[in-house]
Amino acid sequence: MANIFLDNLVKRFGKQTAVKNLTLEVKDKEFVAILGPSGCGKTTTMNMISGLLKPDSGRVYFDGRDVTDVPPGKRGVGFVFQNYAVFTHMSVYDNIAFGLRIKKFPTEEIEREVRGVAELLKITHLLGVSASKLSINDMQKVALARSMVTKPKIFLLDEPLSNLDAALRNIMRAELKKIQQELGQTTIYVTHDQVEAMSLADRIAVMNFAVLQQYATPHEVYNKPVNLFVARFIGSPTINFFDALYESGRINMIDFKEGKIELSKRYRNQLNSLLKNNELVVGLRPEHLKVSGKKKNYNLKGQVVSFEPLGSKTIVYMHPDNNQGLIIKSAMESDFKPEIGDKLYLDFKESGLYVFDRKSTELVLKF
Amino acid sequence: METKLYVKVLKYLLIVVLALLFLFPIYWMFTMAFKPYAEWTAAGGKIYWVPNHPTFDNFRTIFTRQLRMNPIAGTALRPIVNSLIVSTIGTAIAMIVGTFAAYGISRYKAGGQLPFFLLQLRMFPPIAIIIPIMIMWAFLRMIDTWYGLVVIYGVVTLPFSTWLMKTFFDDIPKELDEAAIVDGCSNFGAFRKVILPLAKGGIASTALFVFILNWSDFLIALVLTDRKWTTIPVHISKLQSALVGQLYGPKAALGVIAIIPPIVFGILIQKYLVRGLTFGAIKK
Repeated sequence: MANIFLDNLVKRFGKQTAVKNLTLEVKDKEFVAILGPSGCGKTTTMNMISGLLKPDSGRVYFDGRDVTDVPPGKRGVGFVFQNYAVFTHMSVYDNIAFGLRIKKFPTEEIEREVRGVAELLKITHLLGVSASKLSINDMQKVALARSMVTKPKIFLLDEPLSNLDAALRNIMRAELKKIQQELGQTTIYVTHDQVEAMSLADRIAVMNFAVLQQYATPHEVYNKPVNLFVARFIGSPTINFFDALYESGRINMIDFKEGKIELSKRYRNQLNSLLKNNELVVGLRPEHLKVSGKKKNYNLKGQVVSFEPLGSKTIVYMHPDNNQGLIIKSAMESDFKPEIGDKLYLDFKESGLYVFDRKSTELVLKF
Repeated sequence: METKLYVKVLKYLLIVVLALLFLFPIYWMFTMAFKPYAEWTAAGGKIYWVPNHPTFDNFRTIFTRQLRMNPIAGTALRPIVNSLIVSTIGTAIAMIVGTFAAYGISRYKAGGQLPFFLLQLRMFPPIAIIIPIMIMWAFLRMIDTWYGLVVIYGVVTLPFSTWLMKTFFDDIPKELDEAAIVDGCSNFGAFRKVILPLAKGGIASTALFVFILNWSDFLIALVLTDRKWTTIPVHISKLQSALVGQLYGPKAALGVIAIIPPIVFGILIQKYLVRGLTFGAIKK
């Protein structure tokens, strides 16, 4: 049993604010990913949860107990560092046993626990090896084992997969998820990789510039991003943004010569009541944007500048006909084979549009 | 691109010439130490590249009291023992204080600009401070005592040990301390159980460096000692006589003895001198 509550945490380094008024609640056994670009405050947040950093203001609660002043070793957390922090002057066994020895467990129990966790991670054959001789992949497992062996109620993982090669990363991602489900710890996972966050987490906390942008399920951050940043950060290839104006019930996409989009009555009414000013940014995910040589619903045209056949799909890059500086991405079926220079019509469903306020950058309406 | 042959040849030729140039004084000292009087003096007008009649006379001279060649009251035994004592304890002081200070500076940014000041301190020529120190030491009755030398050696080499150890600690990722602390170590526990063992190589090579500095000091020992606590470098300078002037042979013999401890020390810690071995914990 361990839920975490961060109450209005603030951390500054000199003049720079690393984390600003962060309030976050993590339920027992929940897997939460903190997602954001480097320097957004995610590792600082992690260090405040573990106790390695003291917040300048705000409190940290585990199970309703204020642990802000409790030292890291007494908080009952396991921590896996991005660079693993394996003690290279010790054997693998001693590395894993380190925490248990500090906590003065009896020798037989240490032996049993270490072997148990080594078996779980399939590194029993490495126990006698000096940690300095490990491969990067094994180091990662030793780091995991070391933080798991003390059976922490809370598991903190700081970009644990970012140093692994791509193939192993996928395997370890699945393993991590399995282990977490078996052991049922509350887990916080810091990453800058949206795919990791989407695939692992129950909820994602998206951070940028020291501020929590959105805290929601993967489904929600994808479908209802609160602002332009979240929309751009989630999804691959990244979302298309178009500057647009709202004019008498129509959206005018100014990057296109004939960019007026007629809206259905339902959306028009909603927009009329929600919009505070008429300057918009319209978001459209590549996977919702189709192109073809024939005009369907709209008069929006683009010219193909390049395309990437990825096997499962083909990404088409285009300029809109009224703005050579903008690139539009469209994810098409893999059998779609455009020619460079082709002039194609854009097609999409009204419900695929995200409408943001250009000034506040916030989401106004997801159709 | 293949390096051209003559470039290679030139490169190695240059290395060999430089090596010979630097090793020659040591060669000269070694051979001189075993030359008889007639060969190490230039009196005959002849240069002996190797000892024609190798002898231990020079060694006998420096360890004997009442020889014609040795005008100094004492033998070289006492200065050798003195040098060993004061250099070792001075090094120990600089290392213990320096290691703690460096860890504080590296991890907790203790002292603000202090590390830089420490480095600047070393730009002071020792001659500029040695006279005031002599006066202080005289008042404190520390002239010609072992502790007088030990204190000043420890202090003078402290900036070196601090600065060097700081660079070693800086190379050990702070996540290692943090991992230990999350596992339940105190700050000092993390230092003792994780960082100190990992910094072994750094400690060993810094200690060797500091020891050599103390071991080869001439100026401080010359000013702050008189009879009882003279060290090897000072004793070497005193090996001269009215009859033959500089006693080059005995000087060379004592020189040979003087380079033994640093070499032995160096061999003992050789495996730690290869830096970087311990820093494999982190893949960046």
